[in-house]
Amino acid sequence: MNDENKLSRGVERVLLALALVLATNALWATRVSAQVPPRFYWKTLSGANAVPLIYNSISGNTNPFDPAHIVAPGANIDATLAIGGYAHTFTLFDRAALAAVLLPMGRISGQVTTGVQSVTQTARGFGDPMFELDVNLIGPPAQKNLVDALRYEPGFSLDLILDLAVPIGEYDNTRSLNLGQNRWYGRVGAPIVWQFGPWVPGRRTALELLPAVWLFGTNSDFMGQTMTTDPMFQVDAHLTRDFTDRLWGSLDGAWYTGGKASVDGVEGEKLDNLGVGLTLGYQLNDNLGLTFGYKSTINDSALGDMQMDGFMISLVSGWHPTIEGARRLGGE
Amino acid sequence: MTPRSGTNRIAVFVALTVVGLLSWPVSQVQAAERRPNVVIILGDDMGFSDMGSFGSEIKTPNLDSLAKEGVRFTTFYTHASCSPTRSMLLSGVDTHLNGLGNMGEFTAPNQMGVDGYEGDLNDRVVTLPQLLKDAGYHTYMVGKWHMGKKPTQIPAARGFERDFTLLDGMGSYWDMWNFAAANPVSLYTEDGRYLRSLPKDYYATKTYTDKMISFIDANHGDGKPFFAYVSHQAPHEPYHLPKEWRNRHVGEYDKGWDALRQERLKRQVELGIMPAGTPLAERMWFVPDPILLAPAARAFFGKKMEIYAGLVENLDHHVGRLIDHLKKIGEYENTIFIVFGDNGAEGNDMFGMIAGSPGSRDYLWAANHWSRNQPNEWGDPGSWLAYGPMWAQVSVTPFSQYKAWLAEGGIRNALIVSGPLVKRPKGSINTQATMHVADIMPTLLEVAGTSYPKTYKGKEVPAPLGKSWGSVLAGQAESPRTDQDVLAWEVFGNRAVRQGNWKLRWEWKPLGKGDWELFDLSTDPAELKDLAADHPDKLREMTALWDEYARTHNVVLPNRAPFETLEDTLPKRVPVQAGYPPVNLKQQFVPPKDMLADPKK
Repeated sequence: MNDENKLSRGVERVLLALALVLATNALWATRVSAQVPPRFYWKTLSGANAVPLIYNSISGNTNPFDPAHIVAPGANIDATLAIGGYAHTFTLFDRAALAAVLLPMGRISGQVTTGVQSVTQTARGFGDPMFELDVNLIGPPAQKNLVDALRYEPGFSLDLILDLAVPIGEYDNTRSLNLGQNRWYGRVGAPIVWQFGPWVPGRRTALELLPAVWLFGTNSDFMGQTMTTDPMFQVDAHLTRDFTDRLWGSLDGAWYTGGKASVDGVEGEKLDNLGVGLTLGYQLNDNLGLTFGYKSTINDSALGDMQMDGFMISLVSGWHPTIEGARRLGGE
Repeated sequence: MTPRSGTNRIAVFVALTVVGLLSWPVSQVQAAERRPNVVIILGDDMGFSDMGSFGSEIKTPNLDSLAKEGVRFTTFYTHASCSPTRSMLLSGVDTHLNGLGNMGEFTAPNQMGVDGYEGDLNDRVVTLPQLLKDAGYHTYMVGKWHMGKKPTQIPAARGFERDFTLLDGMGSYWDMWNFAAANPVSLYTEDGRYLRSLPKDYYATKTYTDKMISFIDANHGDGKPFFAYVSHQAPHEPYHLPKEWRNRHVGEYDKGWDALRQERLKRQVELGIMPAGTPLAERMWFVPDPILLAPAARAFFGKKMEIYAGLVENLDHHVGRLIDHLKKIGEYENTIFIVFGDNGAEGNDMFGMIAGSPGSRDYLWAANHWSRNQPNEWGDPGSWLAYGPMWAQVSVTPFSQYKAWLAEGGIRNALIVSGPLVKRPKGSINTQATMHVADIMPTLLEVAGTSYPKTYKGKEVPAPLGKSWGSVLAGQAESPRTDQDVLAWEVFGNRAVRQGNWKLRWEWKPLGKGDWELFDLSTDPAELKDLAADHPDKLREMTALWDEYARTHNVVLPNRAPFETLEDTLPKRVPVQAGYPPVNLKQQFVPPKDMLADPKK
């Protein structure tokens, strides 16, 4: 027999379930290797907030702080990188939208060949902050309230994203390795989330694609020279699947092409790289999500190919005022 | 007697015999050709107002088409729970005599070993399919049985020539999983054999319909009529439903149960199902006022009703497939349809009753097999969804209470009868007749040209309870019963008796008073006002009728019952009165604009 208490508990379960959705969909943000992790563009309740803290350990022959991934053949670059950020979801013309800022920071060091010399360079400090605006174009309307969140399933969802990095990060024009890039750059993309099967914690499966174009401004002081970079085309792909209500995994892939850099008119090679990776995520509680990932380039045997691999651990804290209020009441 | 006269008599006898023998096969064949087919469509836990033709917003065009071509009855009684109703349907005999004096799942200690309380349809009764088969009918069954699992108790042993049957009282619509750890697998039979597995692409409502169509086709054309018992599992919990049927009413039920009950009653009055001025049963005191719920909570509960509505619409769709098939093979016009639900809508918390205690064996079983209960997976295998007392009250609009209880909401159901037997105006509604599920036995035996026997295969059988609807369906009478006829019910210790418009009821607290209550159904079908204190003579008279019924029908009141501690688990019962308490309802007062001011410094 149901009674009022049971009904109240039923309502409470709604809120907690939605809280879980909120946190599960929190922002697994990182820009390392110019590749976003799985589930980054999953939608959540409007008015939600998230703070990602991401730790990366990366090795390769390119600067991971530079999304253009200019290859330094023979270089051996190690980076320890953290990214802090903040994101807020909102509704824009009844569509789900997100505004985020991400600030990379950390250390980078490597043996870089400049002309005939091989030197070791080190940089530390803050990188260029990046701002992102994401607006959903195709898919369910924004989750403006808990009712919408209760009924949400992405189905086939397509967004428009606009990224812009502001060149205020640490930059030393005497070094080729820097955290800041000393130029404006950004990205236009169309992230896709394609749901397969039920949209229920523990059973969700989705194919995610991110076709995007990176556009780079001119660095007029790259070791005293002028560096330009052609637009770079990118496709990220993730096949992600829940293993339990809290544990999920993803097979990740990325392909980059273009982005040929020129330094004082001397052209480098355009990129044509393929990377693969694995990600595991675990929802620690309704507010905290933990992920662990590894990825590596695979077509990297030639000297001029980009070589890079990295481990990533992220902790994302997500919250929503309504959910927090309900939790406070429940704790009384 | 002279030799001559004796010779003449012999000659006349021989002549008559020869004529009779020559004419018998012809008349029998002609009679057989004229005899109609019968299809009984039983909705499991479908409430009084769940079909469009009884006031529902749920879209049931196929069931409604039967109502449009036939007649609807608004005072049709079943029992308050599954197997007791089914036992009376198929035996025509009172539950306390046919083996379902109590549901087998709840047989009380003092009822164990008592004849009439076997928990299964006992072998002292003869069944409707047995008698129809003997009368030359094909007898087919699909769906839920719930009246015994032993080889001597299954449909094939009780008169059904072909069957595809769920023997259990409930279970998954998708697979063989059942709900209790001690009874983990549902049993199915097909043509009298216990199934090891289910057919590919099994979904209960679809598969039952497919099977019934195949049974009918297999013998079609042999000249014999058929009796088809389509005992659907839908819309019994768990609400399992194909995904494409789940989103047909998104957001429509967020308005809540009170508004929906009012809308259904309004339609019932417009249709003529209920008279103008019919009062609505009060919302049960432990069900929240939907106005006070947050939108998300209303959407959460509303989604349960969305799934239920989809389940009923899916049921209707498959009924439509059967109707279309009968039209296609030319049998529709010669088929009697009888449509009803087996008891009131389900408002009890079966999940809680069975698996609600953490640490119990059944809780662990549910955790492993029945825990797919996120709203987006309601309807999937492994989900257990029931809509709760608030929506059950909607399903039984305008009545009170629900399944397992003996207020009208538990035992009064919608009834549609259509086909060649019905001579009343098409689409008419009969609000005068008092009908009972046990009436179906004598009605259909009359249709088949046979009668209920005193003995069957050498054994005396109990007297039937029902009265034929023949004259009512023919338009020659308004009711098979007079105001002096008595109907009575008892299950789980809840008991009731009706004579004329008076109804006496005893129910466990707190839904009942633990004492006799008296109602005048002519003015109070929602059973809002207990008249026991105002009419002591009528109370005595009705109590005597109950005593007589109990004595003559082998009633053994249970010394244990599933509701015996209900009073301790529900909030104290208080009247539900609109607008009380005002503290939650008073709107913000907006002062006159010309009196607004900023604070003085």
